[in-house]
Amino acid sequence: MTMTHKERVLKTIKGEPVDKMPAFTGFGAVLVEGLEKYDLRFAHVHLDADEMAKAAAATSELAGLEAIVVPFDMGVEAEALGATLNTYPHSEDLLYPTLRDKFVHTADDIKLPEDIANAGRVPLVAEAIKKLKAQYGEEYAVASWVLGPFTLAGQVMDLNELLKMSFKEPERAEAILDKLSDMIIGVGKAYIAAGADYLSLREMGATSDVLSPRAYKKQIKSFSQRIVDELKATGVPVVYHICGNTNMIIEDMAALGADAVSVDQKNDLKASREKLGDDVVLLGNVNPWDVFTQGTKEDVQREVKASVEAGADAVWPGCDIWPSTSTDNIKTWVETSHGLTPRRSGA
Amino acid sequence: MGSDERKQELFGKMKEGVIEYDEEQVVEAANALVDEGFDAYEGIMDGLAAGMEVVGELFDSQEYFVPEVLMCADALYAGLDILRPKVDMTGREAVKGEVVIGVVEGDVHDIGKNLVKMMFEVAGFTVHDLGADVPIDEFVEKQINTNSDIVALSAMMTTTMMGMKKAIVKLKEKNPDVMIMLGGAPVTGEIADMFGADGYSENASNAVSEAIKMVAALRKM
Repeated sequence: MTMTHKERVLKTIKGEPVDKMPAFTGFGAVLVEGLEKYDLRFAHVHLDADEMAKAAAATSELAGLEAIVVPFDMGVEAEALGATLNTYPHSEDLLYPTLRDKFVHTADDIKLPEDIANAGRVPLVAEAIKKLKAQYGEEYAVASWVLGPFTLAGQVMDLNELLKMSFKEPERAEAILDKLSDMIIGVGKAYIAAGADYLSLREMGATSDVLSPRAYKKQIKSFSQRIVDELKATGVPVVYHICGNTNMIIEDMAALGADAVSVDQKNDLKASREKLGDDVVLLGNVNPWDVFTQGTKEDVQREVKASVEAGADAVWPGCDIWPSTSTDNIKTWVETSHGLTPRRSGA
Repeated sequence: MGSDERKQELFGKMKEGVIEYDEEQVVEAANALVDEGFDAYEGIMDGLAAGMEVVGELFDSQEYFVPEVLMCADALYAGLDILRPKVDMTGREAVKGEVVIGVVEGDVHDIGKNLVKMMFEVAGFTVHDLGADVPIDEFVEKQINTNSDIVALSAMMTTTMMGMKKAIVKLKEKNPDVMIMLGGAPVTGEIADMFGADGYSENASNAVSEAIKMVAALRKM
């Protein structure tokens, strides 16, 4: 029986048998070739629901990626809390939006919007999700993502201040993370209400490149747990992602009970699979820049296979796809994945 | 003038204070060093920088992570603020020079940059810090205005790497002799070569340990 892209994606996240190994991601995958198809400018696709939806869908239309993901930039939550977004409209280069104001020093500086679903660009992203669901929702999975509270804190606070505070005044830092968790749950639920088929929680900054495993367990994990629990309670699958070195905390990541765990290229996936056993759904861990953007067709084939051999249930890039990536390389990722035996087959 | 034994004791206290991120201990020892007439430059190198060298080792061996390193850096600065004004440059090799440093446009992450900046300051450089999210032309302008020997560009994200390429081309065009250093997660040696840069540090955590290693290297100069 042939499955739709959507079925294949959702079953894979939930650890159920599939007919083919799907190729999809939980992060942004907008391509320059997709922007050209719809005559869009990168700096503007973040600001218009219709453009955002088109830019996201183009990657599936051109290259067959099996999930369509919005938004692309990391500023949605912070902007809805009052930060100013800079989209670099005048730059000739592809630049992702950033946030200028580091306005949070204590939990009191965070004013949660009364109606999170209508704060900042949250309704714009929700609108893009609705449009995508209406047009592609039968066939493709439509997904979204939110930042983890520590990563979000790094957007609205000076990172030096946050990191030192987490060490010197942990209670003060935790009060901030707690409030940001409420914000993230509100944003996630708005995306789910709009129809998102799955959600990724990206606590990218809580990597062991930055924080000790001890700090992760003491300060990060409980907030991730609360968010995963609340989002999962809606019935929508949740993928939990952290960047960088994650081998020392991979068991903690899996213990949160998200439907799947995603790691990037710095994770030794084979070691993770051995630690976690067969039940945990692991997604990863191809280097998006080195392999998808810079690599040849052979590089993509080799690395996709390598991730699966190391124990991935499906191949995810470690981060967003860089827009200058060729559709040909994305096609190769899709074709190579389809040619591999799924870890959980038998459908 | 105090004894050599006393000098070593104070260096040891500063070193330990940096490693244990004990600002008070560093301040106390640095003040005592000045009051008792010891050489401030030696104090910076054999006390503060020596401590930071150990911090780099602790970071590499994953005993310390970024928050600890930042606190050690604070302790180092507490000592540096006391000792630097007392450094007697007469009879020394040279003032090391001037450097323009900043994070390229599109990137707001400045921790790696701040540690590299610290390294230059320890070594006696005059640092012109442009901050984060800096348009390329500002690097070029600042280099010309200050006639700095080095321009250190930082970018943590792939997304801003192309900005570096443009910056290097522009900088070398205006002044072929300027030394360019790159740092940040996505910049590999290959890319640094491709872009025509003179030095690089490999990734986010390497940016931290490379900066510290440079302090160590400069101590030996």
